[in-house]
Amino acid sequence: MLAGPSTRETSVRLGQGLWPRRAGSDYFYYVLVVVALGAFAYYLYQYRQEGLVYLPALLQGALVSLVVSLISTLFALLFGLMGALGRLSRFRLIRWLSTIYVEVVRGTPLLVQLLLWYYGIGQVLAVAGFNPHSIAFEFMTVLQNNSLVPDAFNGFFYGIIGLSFNYGAYMTEVFRAGILAVDKGQTEASLSLGLDARQTMRHVVLPQAIRIIIPPFTNNFITLIQDSAFLSVMAVIELEYVTIGFALPQTNPNSKLFVFVLGALCYLVICYPLSVLARYFERRLSVEHLDV
Amino acid sequence: MNLVWSVLPDFLVGLKNTIILCVVSFPLALLFGLLFALMAGSRILWLRGPARIFIEVVRGTPIVAQIFIVYYGLGALLVNTHNSFLAQLITSWSAGILTLALNYTAYEAEVYRAGFSSIDKGQTEAALSLGFSPLQSFFRVLLPQAIPVLIPPFVNDFIYMLKDSAVVSIIAGTELTAVLMFWVRRNASDPLPFYLIAIVLYLILSLPIAYVARYFERRVRAAL
Repeated sequence: MLAGPSTRETSVRLGQGLWPRRAGSDYFYYVLVVVALGAFAYYLYQYRQEGLVYLPALLQGALVSLVVSLISTLFALLFGLMGALGRLSRFRLIRWLSTIYVEVVRGTPLLVQLLLWYYGIGQVLAVAGFNPHSIAFEFMTVLQNNSLVPDAFNGFFYGIIGLSFNYGAYMTEVFRAGILAVDKGQTEASLSLGLDARQTMRHVVLPQAIRIIIPPFTNNFITLIQDSAFLSVMAVIELEYVTIGFALPQTNPNSKLFVFVLGALCYLVICYPLSVLARYFERRLSVEHLDV
Repeated sequence: MNLVWSVLPDFLVGLKNTIILCVVSFPLALLFGLLFALMAGSRILWLRGPARIFIEVVRGTPIVAQIFIVYYGLGALLVNTHNSFLAQLITSWSAGILTLALNYTAYEAEVYRAGFSSIDKGQTEAALSLGFSPLQSFFRVLLPQAIPVLIPPFVNDFIYMLKDSAVVSIIAGTELTAVLMFWVRRNASDPLPFYLIAIVLYLILSLPIAYVARYFERRVRAAL
């Protein structure tokens, strides 16, 4: 960025074939990275006894986080598609409703929304006689499997609703931008070829919009996994909840920090490959590739 | 309705604390973000490598996990040093500001990177061939041209920070969400009015800023 024509570049070019492309000090850097990774591994190894006790529960929590995120993403897609079609609708009322949905959801913190769903709306519905846990429990009792219903089912239920309702608003904007990015000529052409509006959307516009939608969608999925950590405030036993549960009772500050670091590491292991994938999509599906 | 009026001053104090948190953290994030963006874009591996690792780690972990690490993890370590200054260093305020600033540093660094790469490379080349030093060509040529492109994402990220500052309520902060949780616990039978107040206050904060961001975005797009 600050780079001018540097002398090093020419020296590398001169030395090509004689000397590897990387300058000598760069090897030291990689050595240092390996040493640092080794130090971190040794740090983890020091706490191996505690770590091995906590790891199964942490992995189970990570699995719950992933499953919750996947279900929420599916519903968020649904909300987002409805919202986007609503915002592009011909009817003013539907346009207004979906605009209010997007603005209110995007203007307030996810934590407040989750608290509203779980402690606010959930409480009011419970007083009115609607309890998702007991409904699911009775349903599974009929199927002879009621032990499958977790105690925190209400947390799952309202947590997934809250997460998908929140991300639905973000997806709405992603979808809308994607649909609007498709050239108007495409719609006109398909309409003049005799397809009706619904067919045009389904067979012409959406398939082309998906290409634009995928990279921001992947990014949203990554942040959704991270934001599912907020479900720990509603007693859903996911990764962050497990981490906090192990860490806070620790009296030794070092092992307290270790458990938090271990939990964060689990998130990193999940999210980093996904962000690499997102960047790959961004490169592959970028506009430069489109008109080749 | 009486209840709403009686709790409103509390909520306004929370709102004030939310604003303070963000107004302190965001400039820090902008400053360090620029630093990390320059490091991450450098051709010197010793600068680029650590910056990329920091950005990836921060962007790969949830802000909830980060704030727990800073407040409880780091806090417990510092308390154990029995140094009277260090032991009092991590409060919910300092931990909140530190976490928000560090978290957004990584995101702002990416914003800077995207902004700089949107400026034509010929500009830097021209400045260098006119005899500007690399530093001059950055501060006199590249940065001034990037600023209009950078403003809309910065304003958007500031709104994100206003919302993300709600996590500070988890570590016993005193901002808007914490006030909300306090009153919801006290009036568990009828919590909805409190949620309404909090949501309206957050919207009063974020919606005008969002419109400003959109205005800038339109202006920038028109200018390009």
